[in-house]
Amino acid sequence: MSMIKAENLIFEYEKRDNEGNVIGVRRAIDDICLDIEPGQFIAILGHNGSGKSTLAKHMNAILVPNGGTMWVDGKDTKKEEHIWQVRQSAGMVFQNPDNQIIGTVVEEDVGFGPENLGVPTDDIWKRVEESLASVGMLEYRYHSPNKLSGGQKQRVAIAGVVAMRPKCIVLDEPTAMLDPNGRKEVLKTIEELRRKERITVILITHYMEEVVGADRVIVMDQGHIVMDGATHEVFSQVEKLKEYRLDVPQVTLLAYELKKRGYPIPDGILTTEELLKALVVCKKIDKAEENSQNERISFKREEEEPILRLEHVNYIYSPGNAYEKHALKDINLDIYEGQFLGIIGHTGSGKSTLIQHMNGLVKATDGAIYYKGENIYSEKYNLRQLRNNVGLVFQYPEHQLFEMDVLSDVCFGPKNQGLSDEECKERAIEALQLVGLPEKYYGVSPFELSGGQKRRVAIAGVLAMKPKVLILDEPTAGLDPKGRDEILDQIAYLQKAGNMTVVLVSHSMEDVAKYVDRIVVMNKGAKLFDDVPKAVFSQYKELEKVGLAAPQVTYMMHALWEQGIAVDTQATTIEEAVESISSALKK
Amino acid sequence: MIRDITIGQYYPVDSKLHRLDPRVKIMCTLLYLISLFLFRNIYGYIVATIFLVSVIHISKVPFKFIVKGLKPIILLLMITVVFNLFLTKTGKVLLEFWILTITEDGLRTAVFMAIRLIYLILGSSLMTFTTTPNALTDGIEKLLWPFRKIKLPVHEIAMMMSIALRFIPILLEETDKIMKAQIARGADLENGNIIQKAKAMIPILVPLFVSAFRRATDLAMAMEARCYRGGDGRTKMKPLVYQKKDYIAYAITILYMAIAVIVGNI
Repeated sequence: MSMIKAENLIFEYEKRDNEGNVIGVRRAIDDICLDIEPGQFIAILGHNGSGKSTLAKHMNAILVPNGGTMWVDGKDTKKEEHIWQVRQSAGMVFQNPDNQIIGTVVEEDVGFGPENLGVPTDDIWKRVEESLASVGMLEYRYHSPNKLSGGQKQRVAIAGVVAMRPKCIVLDEPTAMLDPNGRKEVLKTIEELRRKERITVILITHYMEEVVGADRVIVMDQGHIVMDGATHEVFSQVEKLKEYRLDVPQVTLLAYELKKRGYPIPDGILTTEELLKALVVCKKIDKAEENSQNERISFKREEEEPILRLEHVNYIYSPGNAYEKHALKDINLDIYEGQFLGIIGHTGSGKSTLIQHMNGLVKATDGAIYYKGENIYSEKYNLRQLRNNVGLVFQYPEHQLFEMDVLSDVCFGPKNQGLSDEECKERAIEALQLVGLPEKYYGVSPFELSGGQKRRVAIAGVLAMKPKVLILDEPTAGLDPKGRDEILDQIAYLQKAGNMTVVLVSHSMEDVAKYVDRIVVMNKGAKLFDDVPKAVFSQYKELEKVGLAAPQVTYMMHALWEQGIAVDTQATTIEEAVESISSALKK
Repeated sequence: MIRDITIGQYYPVDSKLHRLDPRVKIMCTLLYLISLFLFRNIYGYIVATIFLVSVIHISKVPFKFIVKGLKPIILLLMITVVFNLFLTKTGKVLLEFWILTITEDGLRTAVFMAIRLIYLILGSSLMTFTTTPNALTDGIEKLLWPFRKIKLPVHEIAMMMSIALRFIPILLEETDKIMKAQIARGADLENGNIIQKAKAMIPILVPLFVSAFRRATDLAMAMEARCYRGGDGRTKMKPLVYQKKDYIAYAITILYMAIAVIVGNI
């Protein structure tokens, strides 16, 4: 019997006006047929708004179809009497780790599901212990969930589902809000569960690297299933995947580009090893001499005064009590006008604390900061003026929107600067144009926009203040690959066209590699590297030690070099890599 | 600022008091509070003091930490003392100047009232110091259980309380983040009169409410997905069962109350 079966599934969201009258419908799922065998690892891919989350909610009977039928473990989800059985056999893990943990102690949260099922007390304890052990969180059983990292919280959420002894786990973008370490943790946990407990896993995501191990990949677009097949099969259709706004892993993309140039490389390459094997077959070449094109580019400008200068900045959280933490350790940093700087580090590395120093939101415990040569800690220094010059866009900036319409929200900053109404409006419109938001949205409530649009509005809100330096904290978090590329392109455009100094904080090397001209790597509150991207990535072994990874291309190039193929190991983008590999193979 | 208040905080040490059933602690605290109003002379206060001091000793919570809990009520305490001192007109006059008179009775009620208030706060904060918010909620749920007969939604109240406890730190952190973000956009939260200050709160409160609602929707969905359907048919991971030590605690408290009432009314 199939674990999950859908037949001509249709679901429509109703749009209502202010009085609650239905004014239209949006079809989120359109005539989907699906059959999932027990024990499989299924990945469902699709960009935001493709209907993949709506489909997931049908598997748990949180939503019931408007048309067609969904069977979970042979039970029709539309029937009232089946609802609890369905929810027990198909457990669900959601995106936001904070919003799905109910208990104030880890073990109590894991016990929540069994309690609801009416499991006897002794049995609950047994289940809690077993499921916490299966996700590797047993030692945290007495902890408060608030003190855990994102990845740990998601593992607790998974344990909470496992404790209900489901036959199938549906994970709805479980890694979207996590950093690379957290993502790895969660994926490893999923993999282990599948192997040991033989649970059917349905993973919904928009990161293609995460689904490499899946048995079957389903791609959704506009409520339809548009691709469905074995992972290798689906991944071999690079053009088609791009069309559906998906992100192909760098290695797959590299293989695809090389194949286009006529190299005999098989379709659907998923890992570095696979590509390496294919390329080594292509041609064996004697070990080449040391690369000559290693000219040193420096980001330093000796003669120029930096726009922002941090000198021996130290920051200590809650000094003198038990929670004391040395968040920043002796940071020295010169940022020059017009530079595009990337700050990389994982959660807790101090990168967010660092940028909050740059506009004076957080005051250093020790050290000095200069904006255009002036010490911002000197007594008469105007911090509000500094904040006008150094704009800071926080993580998930759309969570700070509050006005009735988009335009007034963007006006908030300029208004605080004391500008006249006309000037505010002018600035707001200019900023909205810069972020590429169509004019028809200006009068709309910001809460009605899509995730990507909201983020644009929020960024415009800071741009309208006409900052000289723009700092963005993880501006792409939670966006799908297409949305991410759009935002990053926009920022790169701002930096070039507006000659703005941009500081981009991220935990993804791949995101940053393409855009920035300098990278600062933060680790445990200290500056680990500060150099041009190529130089930083060439330290990929060091980066790995601190839990960061260089772009996949870097690994590929180094692996090729070790195989004796004379490629440029400093290539960081696909285009560079393709050029370098094909020229090396031609020799 | 909010973090300075110690009332209602849990003090994590392991003591006999910490290990008692939360229901015992709630009921005994209640009995103790009532007892404070049942005696009229100094002997009653002596008995209460002995009881309070020994319970604090058993709890292993540092005395200094408990006293800190009195800070927020100092003003209230002073007002009570002043009113009792000057407005009691009976008894022998001790001091008289301008329109104010202090009588013997006034002095006595003022002192007793102050002690009573302090003991009240000390006693009830001792309960929260030794009981986790979770256990407290469980205790309240179990104690109120009989009231379900008169349609009091006991389980729902307890569930709401524990969810609130879970989300308070999250929302505090979120408030901090939103404030910083709006300051970064030039918001002025410190200067101006009351109306301006209230107005400056809008850019903080609106996003905070929006976020709270979003979290609530998410949480409701996550609870449903884990088969939550109210209190009926639910079992407990940590059911409350009275132990021998709990009965002993009840006995001691009742004994104290009897002694205090008898001695206090001689």
